[in-house]
Amino acid sequence: MTVKSQNEKLGQGVGFERIRRITGYLVGTMDKWNDAKRAEERDRVKHGLNGNA
Amino acid sequence: MIQSIIKRDGRVVLYDQNKIAAAILRAMEASRDGDAADAARVANDVQNDLERRSVGSAPDIELIQDAVERQLMNHGFNAAAKAYILYRANRTRAREANTSLMKTIDEITNIDARISDMKRDNANIDGNTAMGSMLQIGSAGAKAYNEMYLLRPEHAKAYREGDIHIHDFDFYSLTTTCCQIDILKLFHGGFSTGHGYIREPKSIASYAALAAIAIQSNQNDQHGGQSIPNFDYAMAEGVAKTYRKAYYRLLAEALEDKLDLEEQAITVKELVKNVEAKLGQVPAMESSPEFDEAVIYALTKRYGLPLGDASSLVARAKKRAVRKTDRDTHQAMEGFVHNLNTMHSRAGAQTPFSSINYGTDTSAEGRMVIRNILLALDAGLGHGETCIFPIHIFKVKEGVNYNEGDPNYDLFRLSCKVSAKRLFPNYTFLDAPFNLQYYVPGRPETEVATMGCRTRVMGNTYDPTREIAYSRGNLSFTSINLPRIAIESKGDEKVFYEKLQRMMELVAQQLLDRFEIQANKRIYNYPFLMGQGIWLDSDKLTLQDDLREVLKHGTLSIGFIGLAESLTALYGEHHGQSEEIQKKGLEIIGFMRQFCDQKSQELKMNFSLLATPAEGLSGRFIRMDQKRYGKLHGITDREYYTNSFHIPVWYGISAYDKIRLEAPYHALCNAGHISYVELDGDTARNVEAFEAVVRCMHDCGVGYGSINHPVDRDPICGYVGIIGDVCPRCGRREGEEIPFERVEELRKMYPEMPAFQGIE
Repeated sequence: MTVKSQNEKLGQGVGFERIRRITGYLVGTMDKWNDAKRAEERDRVKHGLNGNA
Repeated sequence: MIQSIIKRDGRVVLYDQNKIAAAILRAMEASRDGDAADAARVANDVQNDLERRSVGSAPDIELIQDAVERQLMNHGFNAAAKAYILYRANRTRAREANTSLMKTIDEITNIDARISDMKRDNANIDGNTAMGSMLQIGSAGAKAYNEMYLLRPEHAKAYREGDIHIHDFDFYSLTTTCCQIDILKLFHGGFSTGHGYIREPKSIASYAALAAIAIQSNQNDQHGGQSIPNFDYAMAEGVAKTYRKAYYRLLAEALEDKLDLEEQAITVKELVKNVEAKLGQVPAMESSPEFDEAVIYALTKRYGLPLGDASSLVARAKKRAVRKTDRDTHQAMEGFVHNLNTMHSRAGAQTPFSSINYGTDTSAEGRMVIRNILLALDAGLGHGETCIFPIHIFKVKEGVNYNEGDPNYDLFRLSCKVSAKRLFPNYTFLDAPFNLQYYVPGRPETEVATMGCRTRVMGNTYDPTREIAYSRGNLSFTSINLPRIAIESKGDEKVFYEKLQRMMELVAQQLLDRFEIQANKRIYNYPFLMGQGIWLDSDKLTLQDDLREVLKHGTLSIGFIGLAESLTALYGEHHGQSEEIQKKGLEIIGFMRQFCDQKSQELKMNFSLLATPAEGLSGRFIRMDQKRYGKLHGITDREYYTNSFHIPVWYGISAYDKIRLEAPYHALCNAGHISYVELDGDTARNVEAFEAVVRCMHDCGVGYGSINHPVDRDPICGYVGIIGDVCPRCGRREGEEIPFERVEELRKMYPEMPAFQGIE
């Protein structure tokens, strides 16, 4: 992964970090999560504050 | 005539009938069924048998063992035959375990963790590093040994086949799970880490640094998380010491400036010390008017100052000392958070699993600690990254911080603002009836504290006079595959409860077997946890004592996952779908709790019910169940079973209903529980809305809860918030590059922007 390329640009190949909670602990980014937990995170739906979501 | 045989590894060796006779004799002796003469006779017939069956070719081991079994039975040595078959099965299992262990180690050694799910079983161990791999290899070896040699066959079978999950199985023979460290007790009089003696700390900086050391040291004695239940109360003592030192010095300096004198530090300190001795009070942020006046009076006498001058000197010194103490506290809290995110445990493979509880200390010092730890959390790490550790737990209590007008209400509000950005703190609710019953105002040890992921220890059947959070923890826990029991019951409630009862008995026995191993350890096995008196009553032990009695302050917990899938299997719906099924859910969990309470009374130990944090487990059970039952709709058709008693994550429900439905399970799961609410980013950033959700949890009787929302970060421009496809600050897409000048422009607008150094 290059960071600063010759034409003075920044960020090639650098992804965004996405921090999520897993069983009470935060995990830095999701690439260390096991497959089942990744699937669970993918399936999570948001809860609305009134009525039925 | 048999000349030779083929061994398992393919080598051909000379046939030796004596060896067969010796093996038969061992089986006979083990079962007290036959003697050497019998063994020789059977061995002779084994040879005849083999000659009949393998004409001309050399027999292999399996063929020989089959013949031995047959001939033992032909001769009527049934008990010996049984012993021989068992021995043979055990050997096969051991051989398979060895092969599978070597395969596992091979995977750990050669496969990238990004590809190997096994290496990501626990997200906090980096399976790609040398020490992380070493840890995983050790863990694999320990698991193989424990299953072969320590578990009863019925427990091994239940574990292997996924009826139950024995958590932290690699540590089965080694240690206990977790502990709430009473950091003040540890600090008073100093302590030893095992690698050196440390004096009682004298400033907030050293209080905070040593708190991190204590967590790290204790983490090496246990496999679970480490928590400080009294973070605010404990650090407040360090703040008070820092203030006192600052007060002496700043008062002396103010005086030196005023009167144009040289070094007055010693004189002034002596003067204040005299006042301290006379009044029995010390300089403090909230010192009494009486104390301040006495110092002012002493200054006028000693230095011939007019009263007004002396009084403004003291006022200025106090103000500056507060400012200096606040700065020091802020730095100390920042340092603490940085330490816990960077320090290593387990030979560098992990950072310690750490939690801190705070929110209820209303002293000026305690409030200063709470505010600054929240600000440090808010600021994030060096590049603004969200801190992974410690888990922050804010203790909510009416009359202390819950309502407007409560002394710490401002800090509760601040905590909501920070949590809306950083996911921490989580909230524990001391007003929930099952927590309030232990609460005694003025005794912080009676405030429920949580061990990060959810573990809670409060009641104490072993010693009802010690129903406290401090110095205790979980000893071990094992979880039940609840959906499988439900599936196997085929909709028959009675069958379900019978099976559940049997499974709980099995788990209770297994926990007791493990306790037996733990109970026989000694202080020196846990130089910090027991050697430094962290664990309750361990300071009363001698080197000869085993740990049996003191460990009984801890809990043995029976956990479960997949209530939602179990209900669906039994009744066709889960508890989010109908109030009737919710009642059924509460009956099941109530039954499990009652079992734990009965066991506790029976054995005078602390059995408790855990809403299992199903990290590695959520996939393990369901994979096995899919093989057995296929993909059953709403039960086994996803990649995971639902966390403990949660409403399924994929089910659309309002935050209020989710909280209302999950709250009653908190009361039942006394070993620990947590509820989550998922908010979208915009709602989460609205502090009023965020606080409303926390208040809803409080009012519904939730014990421990937290709010999930997306926290993203662009490492290039340092933006923290929600990032969809495009970063709202610098406008780049994932993986895209942007001109260096653009970054520099942005830096002018956002001076706190990190200088990007590479991939962290």
